[in-house]
Amino acid sequence: MRSRKLLMSPVRTALILYLAIYSLPARSSTSQETNSTQNQNKEEQNKAADSGKPGSSDQAKKADLKSAPTDEGQLATINDAKIPSYSKVYVAPIAGGFENYIIAGLRNKKVSLTVVTDRSKADYEISGVSDSEKAGWAKMLFIGSQNSNEQASIKISDLKTGAVIFGYSVHKTNSLRGRQSAGEACAKHIKQIVIE
Amino acid sequence: MSYKRNVVSILVLLVVAAVSTSLAGEKNAPPSQKIPKGAKVFVAPIEGGYDTYLKDAIAKKKVPVEIVANRDQADYEITGTSESQKASTAKKVILGNWHSREEASITLSNIKSAEVVWAYSVHQEASTHGKKSSAESCAKHLKEAIENQ
Repeated sequence: MRSRKLLMSPVRTALILYLAIYSLPARSSTSQETNSTQNQNKEEQNKAADSGKPGSSDQAKKADLKSAPTDEGQLATINDAKIPSYSKVYVAPIAGGFENYIIAGLRNKKVSLTVVTDRSKADYEISGVSDSEKAGWAKMLFIGSQNSNEQASIKISDLKTGAVIFGYSVHKTNSLRGRQSAGEACAKHIKQIVIE
Repeated sequence: MSYKRNVVSILVLLVVAAVSTSLAGEKNAPPSQKIPKGAKVFVAPIEGGYDTYLKDAIAKKKVPVEIVANRDQADYEITGTSESQKASTAKKVILGNWHSREEASITLSNIKSAEVVWAYSVHQEASTHGKKSSAESCAKHLKEAIENQ
């Protein structure tokens, strides 16, 4: 009886350790899948927005959408769309107050856009989703990291035409500065389409 | 007679062109992002009572603004979000860290023009004084923004 107990305890410990290690990559792969699904959705939205133009075929729509992987995420622009500098931009509320991080990122990255709090005064609108995953005990124990995983996806739409002109999604594993990093990544890539 | 009509129509066209050009220029003009010293600022409620910490920090850091309790009396408004995460048992045992994780982001906007004039975000992985530290960081940078413009 005692020998069975002695045998069971290391087996139980090994099982717990296996489950803890297994859960980490499984979780990260799920987040990547979500990210790619969001990209697909964004592309679909972009195509839908573009379909309003007369005489545009499906092949032309595919050519319009330019998607490029960046260091942290996926960037998509339509027709090499550009935003004139100091255009008025409204950042729609995003769950968890992520819109504040985007605004702070725009300022920090010196993006020449004017952010307004009134949607009716804006030319463009930034909207999106964000998700933050705090480090669990297993991550702290096995990886020794307490940094969170961040993911966000934003799109910019022209309020006059209603067309989505820009899309970007970011995924940061072990984000050193949490949502601040994700917000700044979004701002950095918005800067690429603003005419200086 | 027709000559006069032509001259008048050309003048009208020139005026319309001048007005439209000036309007187009105004539209994309860089905003005057100056926060005057002594400006009346209203701090909107932020989740977890962070606005209280922010008001205290603004007073402590001697930020040259006047905090008002009523939004109607204010020229500027501070809005934002904050998140505080207490140190978990794992963090205490494995990393030997008792300090909380603080995240906050605030924006200062002009109430009349609805333009955001200043924004700042802070992230502290192990904040010694919790929300107080992050609020004081926001206040410190707001002070710098007002004084260094």
